[in-house]
Amino acid sequence: MNLHIIHANIIWANIIVSIKSFYREKTVVFFRLAFPVILILVFGTIFMERDNEIFDLSVQDLDRTKSSEELVKAIRLSQRFKITQVSPAADAQQYAKDNKRNLIVIIPKDFEMSMMQKMGPSGIGTPVSLTKLYDPSSFGVTTKIGVLDMVLAGINQEMSGKPPLIVSEPVSILKKKYRFIEFFVPGIIAMAVMTASLFGAVNVNAELRQKGVLRKLSTTPITRIDWILSNVLYQFILAVLSTVVMLLVSYGVFNVSLEINAWLVVFVALDVFSFVGLGMILTRVAKEAESAAASADALMFPMMFLSGTFFPVEMMPEFLQKFARVLPLYYVNEGLRASMVAADHMAALKCALIIGAFAVVVFVLGIMITKLDGETT
Amino acid sequence: MTQNSEYAIEVNNLTKRYKGLSAVDNISFTVKRGEVFALLGPNGAGKTTTVEIIDTIRKPTSGKVTLLGMDVTKKKYKIIPRIGVLPQGFSSFDRITVKETLQYYSRLFCRRKTDINGLIELVNLKDKVKVQYKNLSGGLKQRLGIAVALVNDPEIVFLDEPTTGLDPRARRAVWDVLLGLKKKGKTVFLTTHYMEEAELLADTVAIVAKGKITAMGPPGELIENNANYLVIMLKSVDEKVFEIVKKMGFSPVYDSHGYIRVRLDHTDDVRRMLTAVKDGGASFTGLDVRKPNLEEVFLKLTDEALPEGSVGIKEAE
Repeated sequence: MNLHIIHANIIWANIIVSIKSFYREKTVVFFRLAFPVILILVFGTIFMERDNEIFDLSVQDLDRTKSSEELVKAIRLSQRFKITQVSPAADAQQYAKDNKRNLIVIIPKDFEMSMMQKMGPSGIGTPVSLTKLYDPSSFGVTTKIGVLDMVLAGINQEMSGKPPLIVSEPVSILKKKYRFIEFFVPGIIAMAVMTASLFGAVNVNAELRQKGVLRKLSTTPITRIDWILSNVLYQFILAVLSTVVMLLVSYGVFNVSLEINAWLVVFVALDVFSFVGLGMILTRVAKEAESAAASADALMFPMMFLSGTFFPVEMMPEFLQKFARVLPLYYVNEGLRASMVAADHMAALKCALIIGAFAVVVFVLGIMITKLDGETT
Repeated sequence: MTQNSEYAIEVNNLTKRYKGLSAVDNISFTVKRGEVFALLGPNGAGKTTTVEIIDTIRKPTSGKVTLLGMDVTKKKYKIIPRIGVLPQGFSSFDRITVKETLQYYSRLFCRRKTDINGLIELVNLKDKVKVQYKNLSGGLKQRLGIAVALVNDPEIVFLDEPTTGLDPRARRAVWDVLLGLKKKGKTVFLTTHYMEEAELLADTVAIVAKGKITAMGPPGELIENNANYLVIMLKSVDEKVFEIVKKMGFSPVYDSHGYIRVRLDHTDDVRRMLTAVKDGGASFTGLDVRKPNLEEVFLKLTDEALPEGSVGIKEAE
C-alpha cells in the first residue's frame, strides 16, 4: 500500500459515493440527524422545567381563619408552588396515598390563636408549628421541602418586621444567564459526533471488508491515506450537517444563548478525526464485523456517561472524575462548553491541544495499521 | 525481461505458505501477451492465492512474479493502472447504481474518458444502469464486476472464478462477455473450476492441484498428450452389460447419470465390445463414443472426484 500519496480526486469520488449511500439509506439518515435532535428535545424539555420549576403542593387548612388563609396566600405569592387545597374533613395520609401527593402541609386548628400569642406584646408561646406530611420514597420531595422551608423562612422574617442580618448576592462566573440546556447542547453535539464517527467508521469499514469491497479497492490506485481521509472528510461533512440541525432546533425550540465561533468547527473536526481514527483501528484489530461493533460499544458507553455529556463530571465521585479526565470525549465536551458557554478561549485552546494530540496519534496509528487488501498475515 | 517482452506475466518458483502449509508450492509459468490463460483446479488448489499474488493483492512467501516487466512486490502502484481485476466474490457498494459504480471506479483510476456506456453495452447491462447494486442478481453483479475490471482499459484482465455460483444461463452470459474480451485481444488470466469454461475460453490451461501445476498447455494439446483414448458411454437397464464389459478386461464405471462409462485405448475395442454385448444377449438403449475432454485429463492428472454434470468438477466446500 502506498502510504505517502494523497489523491484529491479519489477522496472526492469516495465522498460522493458515501454521501449517495447515506441519503439513500433512510434509517441511517434518521438516526444520524433526528436522534440527537430527539435527545435535545427530550432532555431539554425535562430540564427547562427544572430551571423554572413550580412544585405541586397540597395544603390542608384545619384552622380556616384569616391568618391561615394569609399564610396560604403568602406561600402562593412566592411563585414556587401550585397549591391544591385538601378538605379539612379528609384523612391527610389517605389523601396523599390516593392522590399520589408526596407533600401535604397541614395548618393546625389553633393556628391563628397561636400566632396571636406569639405576635402579641408579650411574645410568649412556642413557635407555631405546621405539619409536613411527606412520602420519603418520592424522588425530589427533599428539594420540595427545602424550597418550602426557604419560603417559610422568608415569610417568618417578613412577619418579624426586622431586616435580615446576613444576605448573599449570587454572582455568576459566566457573562450571562446560564441554563441547563446551554450546558447540555454542547455535550450532545460532542456525543453525537463521537458516536456517528466511531460507528460510521466501524460499521462501514467492517462491512466493506467482510464483503470484499476493500479487497477490490486494493487493486485500484487508492492509497490507505486516501481511504482514511475519505472516511474522515465524509464523517466531517455529516457531523457539520448534524451539528447545524442540532443548533437550529436548540435555538428554535429553547432559544439557547450559545457562542458560535471557530472553536465549534475545530472541536467537531477533532472529534471526527479522533473517533474515525479509533474506528479504523478497531476495524483492523477485530476479526469480525460483530466484534468490531462490540468493541466500539465498549469504548463508547463509558465515554457517553462519564465524560460529562449528560451531567457535570463534578457530580461524580473523585475516582470517576480522575477516570473521566483520561477519556478523549471529556476534552471535546469541556472544550465545546468553554467556547460555547463561557467564551473562555484559553480553556478551549487547552482542551483543543489535548484532543488534537490524541487525534494525531490515533490518525497516524490508523494509517499505519489499516489494510485495504484481504491479507491478514 | 523488458516491458516489451512477449510475456505479460512471468512466474518463477512462486511459493506462498500460511502457518507452515503451502497454499502455492514452487510454481513457475509464463503468460503471453494477448492470450487467455486459465488456471484450472478444484477449490483449495491454490488458484486464488496464485492470482492474488500476481494481481498484487497478496505478497508471496518466496519466488518472483513479473507483470508487464515489473516486479509485483516492488512496483504495485505502477502495475495497478495497467491491470483490471475481478476478485473472487466481487462485491460493491449496495446503494450505488450500475452506472455510478462504473463512474466511481473510473474516477479512482483518474480516467476522464472512460467509455462507460460502451462498457455497459459490452456486459449487456443497458437496461440496468439505474439499478442499485444490491438489487442485481448474482449473474448481473458478476457482469458488472467484469465491467469494473475494464474501466481503466487494462492490458491484462484477471478474473478469479467469474462464473462460480451462477446458474447455467448466467454463466453463458458471462462467457459471451469473456469471448468479447478475447476478440479484443486482451490478455486474460482466468481461474476456474469449470472444465467447459477453460476448454471454451482458454488458449493455455494450467491444471493446478494442491498448490502445484500438474500439466500445462493448450487444451487440445493437453488432451492429446494426456488422454489419447476413447470414451464410450452405454445407457442400459440390463445389468449383464456391465458384467460382460468387465469380463473383457475393461474397467467400466457408472457415472452420475447412470451411464456405463468405459475407457478404450483402440478404435477396434469399440467394435469388439459391442459384439460381445450382442453375443452375450444383453441390450442397451443408448450409445455415445467420443474423444476425451479436459475433464478426463483433469481426472487422470489430479485423482479428483468425478464432476457433477457435464460442465465441471463437483464444487468443493
